[in-house]
Amino acid sequence: MNAPTPALVPRPERLRLVGQRRQTLAVMHQRLMFGMLLFAGIIAVIMLRLFYLAAFGDHAGRKTLVTNLVPPRGDIVDRDGQPLARTIDAWTVALQPAKVIGDKLELARKLAALMPEHDEAAWLQLLRSDKSFIYLRRRASPSLVEQINALGEPGLALSREPDRLYPQTDLAAHVLGFTDIDGHGAAGVERAFDEQLTNPATRGQALTLSISSGVQQALEHELLEAKTHFSALGAAGVVIDINTGEVLALTSLPQLNPNVAGNSDPDARFNRATQGVWELGSTFKPFTVAMALDTGKVRSMGQIYSCPLALKAYGRTITDTHPFGRNCSVAEIMMESSNIGTAQIAAQVGATDQKRFLKAMGFLDPISVELKERGRALYPREWSPLDVMTVGFGHSIAVTPLHLATGYATLFNGGLYRPATLLKVGPGHGVAPGRRVFSEETSYKMRSLLRLVVTRGTGKKADAPGYRVGGKTGTAEKIINGRYSKAGLNVTSFAGVFPMDQPRYAMVVMLDEPKATAETFGFKTAGWNSAPTFGKIVARIAPMLGVRPDLKREPNMAEVLPFVHEKK
Amino acid sequence: MSAKSFRSVGWVAGIAATALGCYMVNLKVASERAQLEDVETRIVLAQRDIRLLQTEIGTRGRLAQLEQWNVKVLALSAPKANQFLEGSFQLATLTAPKKVIDPSAPVVLASAPAPVRSQPIVDQDGPTLPAPALATAPVQPRSTSPTDLMHVASLKRDLPDPTPQKVVEKPLVRRIVTPAPAPRTASLSGDSKGKATATVVPAVKVTPKPKTAAAPTTLKPKVAPTAAPKPKLASATPTKPKPPLPSTKTKEAGTKR
Repeated sequence: MNAPTPALVPRPERLRLVGQRRQTLAVMHQRLMFGMLLFAGIIAVIMLRLFYLAAFGDHAGRKTLVTNLVPPRGDIVDRDGQPLARTIDAWTVALQPAKVIGDKLELARKLAALMPEHDEAAWLQLLRSDKSFIYLRRRASPSLVEQINALGEPGLALSREPDRLYPQTDLAAHVLGFTDIDGHGAAGVERAFDEQLTNPATRGQALTLSISSGVQQALEHELLEAKTHFSALGAAGVVIDINTGEVLALTSLPQLNPNVAGNSDPDARFNRATQGVWELGSTFKPFTVAMALDTGKVRSMGQIYSCPLALKAYGRTITDTHPFGRNCSVAEIMMESSNIGTAQIAAQVGATDQKRFLKAMGFLDPISVELKERGRALYPREWSPLDVMTVGFGHSIAVTPLHLATGYATLFNGGLYRPATLLKVGPGHGVAPGRRVFSEETSYKMRSLLRLVVTRGTGKKADAPGYRVGGKTGTAEKIINGRYSKAGLNVTSFAGVFPMDQPRYAMVVMLDEPKATAETFGFKTAGWNSAPTFGKIVARIAPMLGVRPDLKREPNMAEVLPFVHEKK
Repeated sequence: MSAKSFRSVGWVAGIAATALGCYMVNLKVASERAQLEDVETRIVLAQRDIRLLQTEIGTRGRLAQLEQWNVKVLALSAPKANQFLEGSFQLATLTAPKKVIDPSAPVVLASAPAPVRSQPIVDQDGPTLPAPALATAPVQPRSTSPTDLMHVASLKRDLPDPTPQKVVEKPLVRRIVTPAPAPRTASLSGDSKGKATATVVPAVKVTPKPKTAAAPTTLKPKVAPTAAPKPKLASATPTKPKPPLPSTKTKEAGTKR
């Protein structure tokens, strides 16, 4: 019992302890409260967020897919809406050697069977390489993809990538151009309108070209046939609407497949119709006569020039393929394509006027068209009196076939120059304002003159019965390394317009180095190769273009026929 | 007391119910919207598929391919200028009937006497006469006598006796008077010359029913056009049509030659 009683009197240290405990308790309470408030706050925030999401948020199953179809690169369509270029999702087969788990030898054997571009050893080497990613095939066929998928090898990656497809393959390849591996335009329209085709704001709308697939196909096919038949190196052709400047067809041969443009020959990628400049020869003569008519130097198709067998001028002798050796009228000069006569007419026109007209027709500038592959015309620098004469009959000046087509369009649409365009004329792209070059009267008089060439002159084979073809042949010796070819290599062309009584379309056909064949009797001038090709093409495309054949209609031939010397 | 204490519970329940209701509406709208989006997505996918298929068809049927088939198999070419026609007139000129020379046709003298009457004119109203009647009629007289043959050559029909003509005439009159239905005349007026004649024509159509020779029946249309405006009168007097007949007959004969 003498045990010390429990402290009845609180010990000061104990008292201090109690105070401390109370303090710590208070702190704890505070902290707990703080923690609770924190959690409550967080929960409140979550709840609020939940309510907000419930009220205004999207649901979990919402699709993120686009609700309208915008291709990664805009379509290109022809004037009738036929697709010429489209971007599709193509299958891509790739190899990731590190991820291959199966037997590599076995796999190499199977791959060699599926894709025979490499043999087994090469496949094995690829499978064992330390590269992380190798493209095996872009734009693989669905059957191949299926077979590769059946191999079940995780190291073979199959994926879909947007790929540019040209459904019509070779058709209008030089107009369309092609894209590089990154999907950017590398040539043609693809390059010229790259910005418009890739811009998300504009790529949803297809780019409508002025090209007409049917006409283009006819032109390509007939030209290819002519090129093969006459063993030519190449060929070019242009069809243009003379009233709007729309290019309805434009082709250059050899062919190019834009789907595999990388595999093609550089010569095939060269656009002979807009990039290549050629001395196109006698097809220039109508311009010279028109200049003379317009300036009043030639007043009538019956104006007489002396046409000797050879004309010596400024140290050079000008000769004719069909020499007259007598006096001849302007109509006859054009009909028989006389260099001598045309040189004299050109000399009358003079250098200043000749240059003025050529400039106005755009012949001294790079061709005006949307493409970036544009050829720059070559012409004499000092323009001497001899140059005036030679330019008069289409020598010493080199232009592109498209230049020539716009020139003929200018000459026959009433005398207004309009730049060529590859975009369809319609809403949003109106007809370019014309620039007066020739008077309407001159334009009218030229109709019968060029019709005469086809009915009775050098271009007889270009006639397509009923379609009133008018035009001019042109044969020029090819310039090789700055000199006229000694081997007699020619560039032949035929430029013409139809229907001549109411001109609507101009066309230029050009063959590069055509050879003589048995049925041309050894000739390789334009009248024997380009002209018949022209006629065949007109007979095919004119019905498509809505030109009614009519054997009873002709331009006013009374303008020229009285001045043609009839052979007795 | 209890009501008062439950009031707050009631409030809570009411608010909760309202909130839930709002939420349900919201949920419903969201699900509807989701479905709509689903449909839109499906449309886009379908459009993509269509595009893909179009591209494939376009690629398989590309112009170069068609051209190749044409060159190898079809060999179609552009129409020639003379294959275009100005219009229906030019088209008709292309199908001019061929002149067939019938060697069995008898030789006829230019001075063959004009017969009194016949029925070749019936050919004009072709549809009114049954075809077999026309075909069989000319065969009969050909086998009779050479004098008859001359008539056949120029007219291709022999003349009936006056007696059967009268026999047929009677039913004709009867029929004209009784039916003459308006719709029928309208439909036939296109074939015959006018309304006045049209009223007679139905009668002609009916006439084959009494089984008499084809010749007398064919006479009746002749009666109507020539005796123009008053059909009843004309048909009532059977002798009247006779005079105009020869002129038309000779005309027909001339053209047939």
